Amino acid sequence: MPSDVSAQDLSPQEIMAAFLARDLKDTEHLMVGVAMPIVEAAVRLAHLLHGPNMELIFFGTRMNVADRHTLPLPAFAWDNRVVRWAESFSDTGHRFEDVKHWHKRVFFIGGVQVDPHGNTNLIGVGPDYATLRFRGPGSVGTPTLSTHVGRYYIVLNSHSPRILVERCDYMSTYGWGGGGADARKKLGLPGGGPKYCVTPLCVMDFDEEDKHMRLHSVHPGVTLEEVQARTGFALTIPSQVPTTLVPTPEELHVLRTRVDPEGRLRRM
Amino acid sequence: MESRTSHIIDEVEAASRIEDGMTVAIGSPTPMALVHQIIRRGLKDLTVVDVGLSLDMLIAAGCVRKVVSYYAGGGFGVPVAPAFRRAAERGEIEVWECEEGILTSGLQAAAQGLPFLPWRGGVGTSLPEVNPDLKVFADPIRGETLLAVPPIKPDVTLLHAAVSDVYGNVQHVGGPGWIDLFMQRAADQTIVQVEKVVANEDVRKDPWATTIAGADAIVRVPYGAHPFYSRGYYVQDNAHLKDYLDASTAAAKGDPAALHAYFARYCREPATHADYLEQIGIRRLLELHEY
Repeated sequence: MPSDVSAQDLSPQEIMAAFLARDLKDTEHLMVGVAMPIVEAAVRLAHLLHGPNMELIFFGTRMNVADRHTLPLPAFAWDNRVVRWAESFSDTGHRFEDVKHWHKRVFFIGGVQVDPHGNTNLIGVGPDYATLRFRGPGSVGTPTLSTHVGRYYIVLNSHSPRILVERCDYMSTYGWGGGGADARKKLGLPGGGPKYCVTPLCVMDFDEEDKHMRLHSVHPGVTLEEVQARTGFALTIPSQVPTTLVPTPEELHVLRTRVDPEGRLRRM
Repeated sequence: MESRTSHIIDEVEAASRIEDGMTVAIGSPTPMALVHQIIRRGLKDLTVVDVGLSLDMLIAAGCVRKVVSYYAGGGFGVPVAPAFRRAAERGEIEVWECEEGILTSGLQAAAQGLPFLPWRGGVGTSLPEVNPDLKVFADPIRGETLLAVPPIKPDVTLLHAAVSDVYGNVQHVGGPGWIDLFMQRAADQTIVQVEKVVANEDVRKDPWATTIAGADAIVRVPYGAHPFYSRGYYVQDNAHLKDYLDASTAAAKGDPAALHAYFARYCREPATHADYLEQIGIRRLLELHEY
């Protein structure tokens, strides 16, 4: 068991997965969309360590696999073999017909742009919508999911001023809008909104009053200056910024031997 | 008395029911034999309701004028399908920006003959700005802010399923794709390609398993979802999809040779689905039976 792993041996992605895993609670329903390997690892880690009653919903496949030692999954999101572990499917009938129950659900979202109030963009980048400079993949189900789920996490594979921008060119999810704790309520959005934004450099949350993005912790070896230089807007910086807790030896052991034995999170 | 009419047609006749400029919805598993036939016929100016790499192929082949899609990812670590991305960035296709709940609301509105259905997902976002067909309104009961989603009405819906009898009584293995029945209910006509045509008695043995009753037309195409999967029959041909994705990626960067070769080999040279399968080869097809 690797009890003596120092922070240098950890990849930022492993730190991200362990941070997210600790924030997930048993019995929650965790919805994981396409192309999110860090999130996949996080929910499986939480499931194995403290969430035997979690429901994992991967691309419509609902599963409880806490009794599986490892969980080989296809790398390709549309690969039908993911159904191997299913107990049922959320995609029989209308995938979105029971949104009234989604307060129990937790969701994770990426984005080509994210603004200081946690609004995100999967539509594209560029001033003219008809001829975008970068055309994104489209919103998938994120507008509806972010509207209704109890809470969600913004998880980014990289931290750069091109992604974390002052203003999204287009918004495909409404996080905290223009700011303010009542922003979502005023629009009638029932879900709890984004809780954290997690990147390879740091964890950010949202100020309770103005819902502006605030530095929560920086990963080991990352400086405040680096975070600020690579963020395209002024973050709220509290007087004390702790270092993100690294995985415990037990967490790391489970992560590396059962969740991610191929080492995907160390090669990103 | 005349006998009951068979709904069986071949893929060539199926594609001949589609005309330039029509709206075509494509379900999941992906009815690729029919998609290939659309490309083979060189149909133009279609409005396509689809996702992913089959959408990308139709765009790359020049069949598409307008896209109704909630997700055009490439898979295999490619965040955006290359032909979709290039065509959208150059303004060569129009995108009807939506998401899953908005799309199903529009299809449901068409099926129910309603001018719109309300939906909450997308309130507060840019969706109604970039898609002016979506109207923000105050609901007349509680005054809440919602989106009015107009009908999305396919002229033709194309689906893939396990089996049907000759009368269009379709049965899936494991049920239809999540959006298939929305597309079927909304469309003027639905063509279902199947792995196998079974006896009417087989359907009657378990009528509760019938997922689509009386589809307008049935096309028998074993391996018809290739290179995608068909539940209960074969898994996805990831090597083939990756080859396509590489070719489409190169074409989007200005080198279309591999993509032209792909379309020539798999769409233009084979005259029928059986010819396509000969191009793929029996060894590759049989490999897809190993889980």
